[in-house]
Amino acid sequence: MRQFLTVLKFELNNYFKNKSFLLTTIVLMILAVGIIAVPGVIMNMDRGESGNSAVSGSVSAGEEADGDDSEESPVFFALWDKNGSIVDTGAFAASMGMNVEWISCTDADQVEKAVNSGEAEAGFIVEDLLHYTYVVENNSMYDMNQEAFSQAAAVTYRAQILTDQGIDPVQIETLYQTQPAVETQILGKDSAGNYAYTYMLIMVLYFLLIFYGQMIATSVTSEKSNRAIEILVTSVDSNSLIFGKVLAGAIAGLIQCALILGSAVGAYQIFGESWGGLLDNVFDIPIPVWAAFAVFGIMGYLLYAFCFGMLGALVSKTEDISKAATPITMIYLVSFFIAIFGMTDSDGILMKVASFIPFTSSNGMLIRISMGSVEIWEIIISGVLLAATCAVTGFLAAKIFRFGTLMYGNPIKFTTALKKIREK
Amino acid sequence: MKLEVINLKKSFGDKEVLHGISFSIESGKALGLLGRNGAGKTTTIRILMDVFHANEGSILVDGKPFRTKDFRIGYLPEERGLYPKKGVLEQLMYLAQLRGSSRADAKEQSMRWLKRLEVDEYAQRKLETLSKGNQQKVQLAQTLVCNPDLVILDEPFSGLDPVNSQILKDVIREQIQDGKLVIFSSHQMSYVEEFCEDIVLINHGDVVLSGDLAEIKREYGRNRLVIGLGTEFEEPQMTLEDCLGSMIRVVGRRKEKVIVELKDGCTREQLLAGLLETRLIPEDFGNYEPSLTEIFVEKAGDQA
Repeated sequence: MRQFLTVLKFELNNYFKNKSFLLTTIVLMILAVGIIAVPGVIMNMDRGESGNSAVSGSVSAGEEADGDDSEESPVFFALWDKNGSIVDTGAFAASMGMNVEWISCTDADQVEKAVNSGEAEAGFIVEDLLHYTYVVENNSMYDMNQEAFSQAAAVTYRAQILTDQGIDPVQIETLYQTQPAVETQILGKDSAGNYAYTYMLIMVLYFLLIFYGQMIATSVTSEKSNRAIEILVTSVDSNSLIFGKVLAGAIAGLIQCALILGSAVGAYQIFGESWGGLLDNVFDIPIPVWAAFAVFGIMGYLLYAFCFGMLGALVSKTEDISKAATPITMIYLVSFFIAIFGMTDSDGILMKVASFIPFTSSNGMLIRISMGSVEIWEIIISGVLLAATCAVTGFLAAKIFRFGTLMYGNPIKFTTALKKIREK
Repeated sequence: MKLEVINLKKSFGDKEVLHGISFSIESGKALGLLGRNGAGKTTTIRILMDVFHANEGSILVDGKPFRTKDFRIGYLPEERGLYPKKGVLEQLMYLAQLRGSSRADAKEQSMRWLKRLEVDEYAQRKLETLSKGNQQKVQLAQTLVCNPDLVILDEPFSGLDPVNSQILKDVIREQIQDGKLVIFSSHQMSYVEEFCEDIVLINHGDVVLSGDLAEIKREYGRNRLVIGLGTEFEEPQMTLEDCLGSMIRVVGRRKEKVIVELKDGCTREQLLAGLLETRLIPEDFGNYEPSLTEIFVEKAGDQA
């Protein structure tokens, strides 16, 4: 136990003194705070600007009605309205939701010339409100002009027809925009509401594993490549060594996560108002879900971390790690995608099966507890299976680690290592 | 403390690399473990250190099975290695603590050995920034930092300049004087001759020679003589064999002198008389005292 604690402390120190670890943590903390704070900062800036505008009093009442668009520079469109279908171009522009300056044309050539010369951003040749040609030099994927024009044409067309029928179009529009007031009473779990934080926890596990799995494997392999391993295995038993390494990785990872998530939560406490409660679902995680994350997430992480450590012992050069770790990375990716797809049907058969298989249950059971309905006995069985697999993998990792440590040279196959251990 | 290695056998796959190694050593003595590359020295040491398990045989300490965890062992492996990117003192303390020292003791012992080996000024430096010789001294410090009962040194002098070699020699002598049990593996026979009372020579996985080094040397020189005929003889071996072949057998050369072995029934006096009869007046005529290198070559060389 004393040796294990010595290894754990040494390995933790390695993480906390590692410049890239510290830098990554600080950068991600700043990023998390930044992302949460951005809308609030922008809102404050906007408030400041609108306050200044009001003081100057230079904006006319009509412009104020257009809100922010009044500040926008106008967009120039060439328009040939063959039959005079657009009676009020100002109102039409307002319907488009843009500050438009129309360049009036009398034929198609003029429209094309205006667009080609760059005088107009685009052009419209209007037969009537339901038929028009959009003229543009290069059609961009993000070009919204045509959609805006179509929408304005449809609104104008509807208004004309309604007016002809003696009906007030504003009244109809108001009627269409009326929404029923809904109050949801959830008796089970709110899968839609829980989706955000479940997704976040799955992603946290994913990054923990991909990042720290590689680091643990590298830590083991580098001791082989720098030949420190022979001194280590003769000074300490391999169980203490591999468990110390893996748990140090787990603790460092969780501390890093806690710091980053803590920064995000702290920032949300300050700037949450600017998000209008949008991220409440992400940060308001119930205690049972935290417990599921602590038990299944961490055990799953340890299970994979042991595998990474074991694979690290089978190679002698750090450049061979990624190749050796590919099979276990693939297994985790399969588990990850099952989880991502399974989140849309958390009570489906796929998630039920995945929640019992140790290599997928870290994500599977977390999702079922968070989003679906799960019996307590299912949680216990899955937990016991995962814990047992974790312990067996840990001791197997220690054996393979012991076997692989002095096998320098070419990477050793996992099956060969197992065979040799059995022979012993 | 008496350490006994009894009939160790070890196979890797189908190949048996140790065919029954036996030797023993007591505290306050150094044992020279000798052999050519691939003879089985490191495998024997690794079995002692419980890195490998022997297929057969046993290791006893004072008649009881030897368990590495019951003793403090200082081990300097042939494959040198520590953490290049870690501080010198930090890793020495880590290794001392792994072997049972308290933190305070680990720090005190680490600094003591760094100072003793004259590398204490690098205590806070990363290992990779030190010269090869100083890194080697840090390796030796890690071996001794836990105040070991058993010291196993595999090629300890490799990479050291003469000054550092002298420091290491003094340290090894101190360990022997302190009653430590020292196993010393090296290809540099002069060092083995300096420290080791006993030797074990392994060749192709077998012990081909073992025992008290002085006794072995005496035994080797018993019927052997060194004869120097002078520089005018271009082929002194051939001359001696042609003239005195019935009395002696030429076994080797030492520069211009010839090492001969008396045949059964022949005495030194008879040989001297024979030399005079054949008018071969020797410039040198004396007892042969073999060096360890000569014994090694004879026992483990290609002709062995």
